[in-house]
Amino acid sequence: MPTIDDFVRPKEWVSGFLNDLGKVVREWGEDRYIPIRQQVDEDWKGHELIKPLLKEVLVDLGVNAAFFPAEAGGTDMPEPMAVANIICEELARLDSGFAVACICSVWGLMPMLLEPHRNMELCLEFGPKFCGEELYVGCHAMTEPQGGSDIENFGLMKGKTIQTTATLDGDEWVVSGHKLWPTNSGEVGDLYVVVCTTNRGSASPEDFALILVPAEAEGVSVGTPYQKAGMSADMNTDIWFENVRVPRRYRMHGPGDDFKYWKRAISMGNIGSTAFCVGVMKNVYEIIKKWTTERIIAGKPLKEHSMVADMLSEVAILIESTSAWMWAYTREFDHPEIYGWDPWDERFVLKTRGLALHANNAVEKACSRAMDFMGSYGYAREYDIEKHWRDQKEIGLWMGGKGLKTLENARYWYDLETL
Amino acid sequence: MAVLYPSQEWCEAWQEAINNDDAVLETGKNWGVGFNGNWVFQLLPGGGLDETAYVYLEAEAGKCTDARMVNDPSEVDAGFLVEGSYADYKPVVKGEKDFIEGVVKGIFKLNGDMGKVMRNAKFIRAVANSISSFEAEYLGE
Repeated sequence: MPTIDDFVRPKEWVSGFLNDLGKVVREWGEDRYIPIRQQVDEDWKGHELIKPLLKEVLVDLGVNAAFFPAEAGGTDMPEPMAVANIICEELARLDSGFAVACICSVWGLMPMLLEPHRNMELCLEFGPKFCGEELYVGCHAMTEPQGGSDIENFGLMKGKTIQTTATLDGDEWVVSGHKLWPTNSGEVGDLYVVVCTTNRGSASPEDFALILVPAEAEGVSVGTPYQKAGMSADMNTDIWFENVRVPRRYRMHGPGDDFKYWKRAISMGNIGSTAFCVGVMKNVYEIIKKWTTERIIAGKPLKEHSMVADMLSEVAILIESTSAWMWAYTREFDHPEIYGWDPWDERFVLKTRGLALHANNAVEKACSRAMDFMGSYGYAREYDIEKHWRDQKEIGLWMGGKGLKTLENARYWYDLETL
Repeated sequence: MAVLYPSQEWCEAWQEAINNDDAVLETGKNWGVGFNGNWVFQLLPGGGLDETAYVYLEAEAGKCTDARMVNDPSEVDAGFLVEGSYADYKPVVKGEKDFIEGVVKGIFKLNGDMGKVMRNAKFIRAVANSISSFEAEYLGE
């Protein structure tokens, strides 16, 4: 009988080891997360349940260390997108909010972690913290109050709306600005990767800067957590930087290169978001398969009714198609040498927007259709469909939202010049 | 003096290298404690090796207590088995290729409790690094 492990995951590309790694995460989740996942929804403000679980995944299971070089205490896993997908998918099957909290610990650091643009000096400085025995969490501070998704719309906006400034003063950067919504903000994050400009209003990539700011630095303050429809394990708050001073070496690469390599992280965000959607849909599949098998209507299991079978078929197709597309682009990300472009190529960012958009629509439809056929039971907390239904909406809102994804996908495939 | 890989002399040199490596001691303090942390490395023919060979490594709490050639995995009690061809092991032993990369890409097949592997990945990397820390010579070269 097919299970969630029968949805497409090409064996030519995804080794037995990576599949086994996914199973370790799944077993951990069945034991540690599933029994309390409905309680996690109530833990949005204090993160008393969530914080120890974050430690178990980021420290004990080695997710933080997976992406750091060995010299810095990491395990330096090759094929980082494939590794991230497996982790994202399995964690999102439990709770997409928890999944994003885990992977965003290292997401913003990717421009300094990945080869060939690894910044070894910064890896050696922060690796022991991220790869040590204590919980140390990263946070990518990007969105600003006035801009919404403008910062991510770098194809058109080119960073000219960034209001957070980084000014060089001797051997220090002085960072000032206001960020909203970053995953792992509030009291969670220990190190911020802050998107800044060195020249406010400039559309030059030279002025785009990625600056590391430790949360304990003088001048950093955070607001209270937002109460949202879902994704309670993903804490979001305001962050203010008021003349925060950090060493000059905390700029990831320098003029032009910060922007260039940041684009690789954006592609990674689009593909990783797709993995969240696949993980959610796989859990929806498990729930509705069990429900429609055990529920007897008019003398036969619900799934044996043609209208229900139509819905079940649709959900399976959504998972299969999204997964297949995700692994195809993952291969492109991890093996640029095969595909003939640099992994930070802006065209790849645009292409991956289409993937993320498809995944957003797929997971929204899968959750909604499952609820349609479970009726009020699907809307009840007990069965977790409503949790995924609430949570998945945010996956479609981040990374620029569906509007930006739509335009950038069209920009790639139809050579748009004004949108 | 270079020792032939694989051979009993090579196993003894590897054991010594592991036990003189601070990184192994530091990262391996939990390895093999409360579970079977012993390894068998299966070297399949190719690259100069004519018959399948097995290297046995006993590891506990950051120390290697035994390393030797065995004729068959059933002779020993190992919690972890790594399968690969001699041709693929050689560049790892030479320090030219990364063992973990080989495992992740499926060049080496690792059997055992993957949860223990994930929780002790830094120890495994340290042991893998120690393998190329002494001079060896190779079959077929």
